[in-house]
Amino acid sequence: MADVVIQATNLSKELTSSLLRRKVRILSGLNLQVARGETFGLIGPNGAGKTTSIKLMLGLMRPTEGAAEILGMPAGDKKALAQLGYLPENPYFYSHLTGREFLDFAGQLFGIEKKERSERAQELTKLVGLTEAADTQMRKYSKGMLQRLGIAQSLINRPQLIFWDEPMSGLDPIGRKDVRQILFHLKEKGTTIFFNSHLLPDVNEVCDRVGVMNRGQLIVQEDVKNISQGGSYKDLEDFFLEVIAKAEAGGQARS
Amino acid sequence: MTGNSGNIDGKQAGPKVFEPVWAIALNTFRETVRDRILYALILFAAIVTVLGIVLGSLSVGQDIRILKDIGLAAISFIGGIIAVFAGTNLVYKEVERRTIYLIFTKPVSGWQFVLGKYIGLCLCVAVMVAAMGAFLIFVITAASGSAGFAEQLRQMGQELALIYLELLFVTALATFFSTFSTPVMSVLFTLAIWLAGHLGDSLFELGKLTQNPVISQFLSVIFYCLPDFAGLTRIRGHLLYGTVPGIEVLTYLVTYVFAYVLMLLVLAAIVTERKEYT
Repeated sequence: MADVVIQATNLSKELTSSLLRRKVRILSGLNLQVARGETFGLIGPNGAGKTTSIKLMLGLMRPTEGAAEILGMPAGDKKALAQLGYLPENPYFYSHLTGREFLDFAGQLFGIEKKERSERAQELTKLVGLTEAADTQMRKYSKGMLQRLGIAQSLINRPQLIFWDEPMSGLDPIGRKDVRQILFHLKEKGTTIFFNSHLLPDVNEVCDRVGVMNRGQLIVQEDVKNISQGGSYKDLEDFFLEVIAKAEAGGQARS
Repeated sequence: MTGNSGNIDGKQAGPKVFEPVWAIALNTFRETVRDRILYALILFAAIVTVLGIVLGSLSVGQDIRILKDIGLAAISFIGGIIAVFAGTNLVYKEVERRTIYLIFTKPVSGWQFVLGKYIGLCLCVAVMVAAMGAFLIFVITAASGSAGFAEQLRQMGQELALIYLELLFVTALATFFSTFSTPVMSVLFTLAIWLAGHLGDSLFELGKLTQNPVISQFLSVIFYCLPDFAGLTRIRGHLLYGTVPGIEVLTYLVTYVFAYVLMLLVLAAIVTERKEYT
């Protein structure tokens, strides 16, 4: 694979339960490569390890085994972080700030100049449809508005690579369509996109490649084109359900 | 959201070391001010005004002195409450609300985060102390007339500076505990050390009195490890009687406070950097 920007090698994570000191393996031997400009969707049931994978790649968590490299640098490296954007699942922001103030804050964390921050905040609030609410405190935002603002802040530094965790969560159908348009625009510009989602039609429409996770393991990776044009599956949902059913039938041990 | 898709491609801005510190400080300042600080100010203003009126009506000659003592104690107490309660939530709340994900997925180090949070809260406490101090000076001037106003201002300024120095210390303690402990435990730890720091001299004296060398050694180790809040109180006592301590005492005091604060912030940064955000 040419110009790999995300590389996970045997990435594994164990957590210790605080009460019984029992070790729980939440991610096992994740091997994954994502090329520059690719859009990769990670799908799987709740608790499959999708969010953990992203957190390990961003350096929010440290792996028990294995390693991840982002843009050729170890996970969590500040130089790599300067070039990526991240939207957490169900984002919570500082409710005392307005949307514009929050974008300015996010820009400052990247060391962006004041003038550029102000311009970016203007562009991005327009991009995500929050122009009118830009000067309203976030405590008055709906879930969908917070999600849109989360998307905006993840783009403040013009990232080469974005990690979005459930970007469509909390959005109505119009919002979802808007996010798909943003994703298409980013793809056109060559941004590498890695996202988790439960909404398979959106993944199908936007992604070049998908990975299916179940019980902390990446069980299959496939080009979306092959799934839809191969003839074996009706659509991505059909593929997903069959892959999960096979994995369960194959006795993937519950941790 | 549709239409103009903005410029979301291209070049990367290089981070500057103190830009994130300042951003986090300003955000913390705004959050503290917008959340709770006004209530404390109103409470203080109410206490001092009522005291001013009551003591003014008694007119026994000592009213200004009592008003000043109570006012300064109230500033120290309310400033302490803000430092302890806001400080102990400082880092913990960011983790609980998961806003920390948004910080540490940007090019921000643990020390920048901790320093930013600390400076933000210290700014907030500074504004509080200055506002309450100004109000107290106003009430005292209104009660005593303009005679000796400059002297009053100088004395009050010195005492307020010492109170603020102590609050810097307390804020650093609270910030340190908030990096690894729940707010309730952090409040208990901070208050315990604050109180023990005021009793440091007594511990030292107790160590000298005891016959047991192990206990004596133990107490003197504790004395040297605890922050010397008693030293700050001693100097405030001198100021109350109009004695200004020498420059070497003040230099030592400021250096001591900043060295202790620096040590606490370094420890807090190490804890924050090593922590996992699950």
